[in-house]
Amino acid sequence: MQLEVKTDESFRVPYRFSNSPEALARFPFPFPDDSYMYSVNLEPHVRTGSGVFANAFDIDEHYVGECADRARALAEQPGVHYVSLPHMMQAQWDVLELIMESYAGDFPQVFELRKQGAQWNWVNRLLGIDDRFTFGDPASLPMEPFEYISRQAQGDWVLLEERDQTLYIGAGMTTERADYSIRFDLGMSWHEFHGPVPLAHELGVFDKALKFMLRLRTNHPVRRLNWTTTVFPRLETSAETLPDWGPNRTMVTPDNAGETVHLRVELQPLHRLPRSNAIVFPIRTYLAPLGELVTNPAWGRRLYRVMSSLHQELVDYKGMTRYHAAMVQYLSRFADASS
Amino acid sequence: MLITGIKSRPVYDRLTPFPEALLHLVVGQGSGGTAMSRLIAEIAPGADIEVMYSTESFTGQNHLAALKDAAPGRFDWFASNAALSQALHDRLSQAFMGTRLYLAGSESFIGLAMKVARQFDLNADEVLREHCGSLVRRVWCVHCDTYSENITQRVFSCSGCGKPLVVRDHYSRLMGAFMGVQGDAEVPGELPEASELDT
Repeated sequence: MQLEVKTDESFRVPYRFSNSPEALARFPFPFPDDSYMYSVNLEPHVRTGSGVFANAFDIDEHYVGECADRARALAEQPGVHYVSLPHMMQAQWDVLELIMESYAGDFPQVFELRKQGAQWNWVNRLLGIDDRFTFGDPASLPMEPFEYISRQAQGDWVLLEERDQTLYIGAGMTTERADYSIRFDLGMSWHEFHGPVPLAHELGVFDKALKFMLRLRTNHPVRRLNWTTTVFPRLETSAETLPDWGPNRTMVTPDNAGETVHLRVELQPLHRLPRSNAIVFPIRTYLAPLGELVTNPAWGRRLYRVMSSLHQELVDYKGMTRYHAAMVQYLSRFADASS
Repeated sequence: MLITGIKSRPVYDRLTPFPEALLHLVVGQGSGGTAMSRLIAEIAPGADIEVMYSTESFTGQNHLAALKDAAPGRFDWFASNAALSQALHDRLSQAFMGTRLYLAGSESFIGLAMKVARQFDLNADEVLREHCGSLVRRVWCVHCDTYSENITQRVFSCSGCGKPLVVRDHYSRLMGAFMGVQGDAEVPGELPEASELDT
């Protein structure tokens, strides 16, 4: 893939965000059916096509803007977006290695990794980084290895450790989280941190997904998509800053929903890590305003059907209660589009 | 016994003796005193038992006298939960293999004591927790990082930043607290209906 990266995007007021036709064409549209309910939608993460499934960890034209937004969030609220328990250091090195090797292998024009034993040289041309460090020696990096690499990696990253037949959150870099607190969720088990999700527990989704996850083997990653919506292209929608972005939910009308409401799709390519036996849970977020998505008539029609039939508990859980009706009214204009 | 639909909230136990224990460390607060006395009576005579009790209580339940009588060995009491957690920390740092911990009291107290126990890697096979007394909650404000104690209402004013917080049914064991988020973040002044936290 030819990587044309934008350099002037803003995910805060004043927003400067849009998808190029190429980015929209590869948008991971998450609805295979006209209705949506939780399911164990895990599949092997095999390289597929030339879109977002072509790489171990996808990056796209929003890479530079997202890294800048992450740096800003971390500077504005230290300790709020990045956390790691003391015993996660081995998993931290594991994930640094996995991201560096994946990026360098998949995007050799912009990332380079040279190794001489434990002496590593990491080059990131998109962010102008050329660093040498000793793999395994935290003192050779300016910060913890997980923070170091996830500041240069698109999307959120959560590290899960396995104990007592379940998975616990041991660390996270989450400047793009959808209305939760990583400080609060730190140390929670699989069923605990999924606790607030409605309906899915009763459907057995989390029991089945956990069984699947515990069987995850190194070099055999799996992936799934998840989705929600956000008003305006704001990535940092943490529980902590709800007062900053909550009022946006009152601003949606049927006439502006095409520009204000953004579908927010999370690509989650889960990998078992080789030394620590931890699992890395990336949440790579793709944003697109509804107005961009409906330019594809099949997507417009499907969005109308999915959103208009969405279970009320999911409407509430995803924070759409206040603008769901306006969004559906907007989408109804595309209900009968022929493909 | 407290059982709710809150998936992240611990399911508490009923205190019964660990038969393999070399030392029974019986620790509690306020209303937990009844469960502690009951447990002590069930432990085989001659076993090594130590009791720690805090008289701090939201509802005013005090079982100090009864516990003093029931405790066959070392007995320490404290005027506050904070003082008891410090003493528990000191005691566990001297503890040997075979120590088993029993906790009884409010959820807030159990959460605090478990934070101490976790520092010593006491796991589920070594600790029992019995919830006693009222259903008040300890709530962490996600906005200002302050803990408010003994919360009984779904909507309340944060003791740190004063924001009107809604208590989410989501519990963090590491914090020993529920989460509070601003209730009128979308439209100032527009809050969910006031209601009592009855679980």
